[in-house]
Amino acid sequence: MSETYAVDIQDVSKSFGAYKALNGVTLRVRRGEIYGLLGPNGAGKTTLIRLICGLLEASAGTVTMLGQRMPNVAVLRQVGYMTQQAALYPGLSVEENVAFFAAINGADAGIKAALELVQLYDRRKSVVATLSGGMRQRCSLACALVHRPELLLLDEPTVGIDPQLRVQFWESFRRMAAGGTTIIVSSHVMDEADRCQRLGLIQYGRLLAEGTPAEIRSQGGSQNLEEAFLALAGRKDS
Amino acid sequence: MSGHRIRAITRRLLQGFRRDHRTLALLFVAPIVILGLLGYLLRGSSSAPLVGIANEDTGPLGAIVADALRHSSRIKSTDISAADGDARLKDGSLVGYIVLPSNFSQQAQSGSVVPQVHLEGSQPGEDAPVMQALQQAMISLASQVAGRSVNFQPQVTYLYGGRNYDTLDYFGAAFIGLVVFFLVFVITIVSFLNERTQGTLERLMASPLRRGEIVVGYMLGFTALALIQSIEVLVFALAVLRIHNQGNVFLIFGMEALMAIAAVNLGIFLSMFARSEFQAVQFIPLVVVPQVLLSGIIFPVSTEPTILQWLSDVLPLTYAVDGMRDIMVKGADLTSPPLLLDAGVVAGFCVLLIAAGTATLRRRLG
Repeated sequence: MSETYAVDIQDVSKSFGAYKALNGVTLRVRRGEIYGLLGPNGAGKTTLIRLICGLLEASAGTVTMLGQRMPNVAVLRQVGYMTQQAALYPGLSVEENVAFFAAINGADAGIKAALELVQLYDRRKSVVATLSGGMRQRCSLACALVHRPELLLLDEPTVGIDPQLRVQFWESFRRMAAGGTTIIVSSHVMDEADRCQRLGLIQYGRLLAEGTPAEIRSQGGSQNLEEAFLALAGRKDS
Repeated sequence: MSGHRIRAITRRLLQGFRRDHRTLALLFVAPIVILGLLGYLLRGSSSAPLVGIANEDTGPLGAIVADALRHSSRIKSTDISAADGDARLKDGSLVGYIVLPSNFSQQAQSGSVVPQVHLEGSQPGEDAPVMQALQQAMISLASQVAGRSVNFQPQVTYLYGGRNYDTLDYFGAAFIGLVVFFLVFVITIVSFLNERTQGTLERLMASPLRRGEIVVGYMLGFTALALIQSIEVLVFALAVLRIHNQGNVFLIFGMEALMAIAAVNLGIFLSMFARSEFQAVQFIPLVVVPQVLLSGIIFPVSTEPTILQWLSDVLPLTYAVDGMRDIMVKGADLTSPPLLLDAGVVAGFCVLLIAAGTATLRRRLG
């Protein structure tokens, strides 16, 4: 079963003290799929991503990634993780940052390709501290995908990126997915949701709805994805 | 100048402290702890050093001087035989011993006495009470030798150091290690905390890196820097400051390296308990000040109140400082059991701290 699914989350809950960040979430992400985790700030998207890559352990339920029950350090070689904040070493150059993340993931090739993909090859010698927010975000993405992972976890990757580059990002994601890479991307921007093959809507730590963008529209009873989301969220609230 | 705006800044500042209990504790608890420690250390210490008296005088006057020495408030005394004296200095049980030679009474009658004063010599200032006690004893001698003045010409020898051995020589040995320990600790704790606050630690944790690999990688990087710093400190201390050194330079370097490794791992370990650089910096007085006071750098551990001696015995710096002094002041080498013990204990602390740092690494995300 897990062979067809890159990620298999079964009835997962996660509490931080009295606060329940996730509550009985079940979802599956197929291999080679672009899966969008949608929801407002504080919905539980980042917690879910951290559970998938083993940074957190579930209070209840199971997380299976690439056939391995998480947490499991060995399988992390196949995973690329881009954190919400552009987590980079500000004192190093763009290339040095990417080379570092390549090295800790056991890959020494692919640095040039990764830098070209995010259009930072010309700026590879620039020290990260001198870059704009958008450039840092691009560098952070290059660090996440430099070792050609099977699964790419992107926590709000397009924040602070201009619309033109955002389009290029999504084209790259699609190309990688076509090549077999599974991509889980979190966002609270609804126009990005349409670019995903399937969506999971999360609010208050629960999965409200799951399906293709078209299915979500029909479930929410609106042609507008944002309105459909609000309708589904309101229905659960009441 | 707007009073309203200034008040806003002041209020903002105090509001922030209201929630930061650790900073408040540092502001109000740390001074009491540090001053209390210092007070207990200075007032509670047994300050009179133990001095051996070997009265070999065949006449009556040596006994009078020996008796005066026994009743001196400046020293504590014990009777020994002159043959045992050097051994007692080496094992650290005496700071010095005084030999009143067999012809002491004759010397007094002839107007010039030459008592032998043998001093351990590694701690400057410890010879002062010995000489003062002897001088006072000479006054009681003078009253017994009626009708003439007695010239007092003590013959002073030092086991370690010597007449030119000064305060810098004594403190220098300890400070070479302390400077490295302190600076390496500060740099490590702040950089490891940066790893956490800039989010890169989260990324490292989501990679195949194992916790031990992160800790050991950090340790090697900072240790490389610390070793270069150690060489610089050592060359400056020996070549420019000309601090007294009886020992092997490579042994001093080895001891510095052990201290640097301990400092790196202490920094990594303690960074787990700080949420901001501000909090990390607060560890400096808490970690460094008690160690400076209690590790024998300024006050010899043997003169501390008993309870503080127990505390000193569990501080890594106590052993490091003792080891540095053994090498530099006493010329100890690898055949010296006390030096091996010191180095072994500091190495043990390193291993313990590596394990503790590795064990607590995942704490913040879990």
